Amino acid sequence: MGFTIAEKILARVSGKTEARAGDELLAKPDFVIAYDFPGYTDVIFRQMEEEFGIEKVAEPDRYALFIDHMVPTATAAEEDLHEGTRSWGKKNNVPVYERKGIGHQVAAELGYATPGAFVVHFDGHISQLGTFGTLAIGVRRHLLEAFVKERIKFQVPETVRIDITGELQMGVTSRDVFHHIVRELGPRACRGMVMEIGGPAIEAMSLEARQTINCLAMFTGAITAINNPDEKALAYMRERQKLDIEPLFSDPDANYHARHEIDITNLEPVAVIPPSPANTRDLSEVAGTEVQVGYLGSCASGRVEDLALAADVLEGRRIKDGFQLYVIPTSQEIMEEAASKGILNRLINAGAFISSSSCDYCFGRMGAMREGQKAVSTGTLNVRGRMGSPDSDIYIVNAAAVAASAIEGKIADPRPYLAAAKEKVPS
Amino acid sequence: MTLANLRGRVAWIFEDEDFDVDQIVGVKNIKIKDPDELAKLCMAADDPDFAEKVQPGDLLVGNHNFGYGHPHYPPMIGMRKLGIGGVIGESFSPGYWRGEIAMGFPQVICPGIIGAVSRWDEIEVDWAAGVLRNLTAGTELPIEPLSESDKQMLEAGGIVGYLHAREGEEA
Repeated sequence: MGFTIAEKILARVSGKTEARAGDELLAKPDFVIAYDFPGYTDVIFRQMEEEFGIEKVAEPDRYALFIDHMVPTATAAEEDLHEGTRSWGKKNNVPVYERKGIGHQVAAELGYATPGAFVVHFDGHISQLGTFGTLAIGVRRHLLEAFVKERIKFQVPETVRIDITGELQMGVTSRDVFHHIVRELGPRACRGMVMEIGGPAIEAMSLEARQTINCLAMFTGAITAINNPDEKALAYMRERQKLDIEPLFSDPDANYHARHEIDITNLEPVAVIPPSPANTRDLSEVAGTEVQVGYLGSCASGRVEDLALAADVLEGRRIKDGFQLYVIPTSQEIMEEAASKGILNRLINAGAFISSSSCDYCFGRMGAMREGQKAVSTGTLNVRGRMGSPDSDIYIVNAAAVAASAIEGKIADPRPYLAAAKEKVPS
Repeated sequence: MTLANLRGRVAWIFEDEDFDVDQIVGVKNIKIKDPDELAKLCMAADDPDFAEKVQPGDLLVGNHNFGYGHPHYPPMIGMRKLGIGGVIGESFSPGYWRGEIAMGFPQVICPGIIGAVSRWDEIEVDWAAGVLRNLTAGTELPIEPLSESDKQMLEAGGIVGYLHAREGEEA
């Protein structure tokens, strides 16, 4: 019986020749990553010193800190938190990345997503590093262990294998594919396990599109997601990766908890209905619902393809008067690419409000909704209060549907707009 | 060290699968930090006298994938302040599970618990025997064993104690 990629990575970082699901190991994460957030990093820094007498981490290159929430700051207290992070980084020789974008994306750009590496963070959306064959797990408060100890105790998870087949239709994106997986398999299909995803439709996707799916793995109950890295992923990382290690791959006869195959050929744009990420429906079921706010961004969506798709929908049109469309590219690198390709101009001309990269629009710190307002969003989550008032509603849709809804002020199917744009500019 | 058995009444049964724990205090209260304030808010929307009825050691019962969504810590800070001794569920969402185990708050996987207990039944979790006993009904169900590190973390009262307990170990 062969091994999964997750088992192989955990064996490597535990100094074992092999590891099986269920084994409890002492694993040394290759990278320990966090963004500064009150209650997490400030507490970890304090506990390291006060509880454990640790003045400095032993191997600073294994750590990385991001400042991506509360950017830009709105209060002096927020700037105090950031300054505490900067000075801890300086004291420890640990890099602090600031104003480069959302950390989960920037961590990939900077090469922390080395194929075959094991990464821990407190936040589960780090799972998107799995796009590059990196096992990246959000461990919440257990992250303290990785700051205090060289090795963390870790139980090797089982893996669920999902193969995606078929072909995506116009106006349907990997964002729809992820929520369709939740609809098909349920919100606990991968509970406590690794979601290993592949198949011809994934291979046909860009890395950006895969990052979207892997980012959201937690809503299947998974502790992370991973792809066996193909040439596309390996080539992207070749110039960037921080470690000189061999990529790892699941064996053909690896032992999976379950295997599923999902054909996406007939998939239509979906909407995830508030207030739970488990509520995937066809967008057509809620089309026409009045919405006042649109958010295109986040660590899940908001990359170049998403921005370009929204620009195609908005081509030659204006968003509805009074509608608030926030477009927040996932990183500065992405923003620069979108600018150089003229995508940002097209969005600005349509009436979008564009900001430099930040996490703040995703959790209601910026662009907060008042009671009774409704949003279409590519943010990570649609639970109550996520984007402002607990009495506002969030419908998760793909980037094209955010743009189409911004035109109409109602939840709208993007496909007619894309078809019209295609007719205008034959490709 | 051994883990102390849990014994108390079933203070609440969360019948919903994929239950979002933020609802325990209500999303509008999720940024409150004061444990006393949170304790008063627990389940208040469903049972205004909940805080008065709970006794130290009482337990909560949950359905499948308890803690799904984007779980925050305040609801269970409130529950612990009331004296709730732990949560017994059909199964748990892994993020919620890790978060609460790190706080030293016992979580017990017990397949079949929904339907096997009623509110205010007296129940007991016997870690060593690997069973949950419904002392009111005179029935019992097997519980799933904890991983070694989860067990140690609960014994140590949370992640800080757990890491202190490991101070002697080789790197």
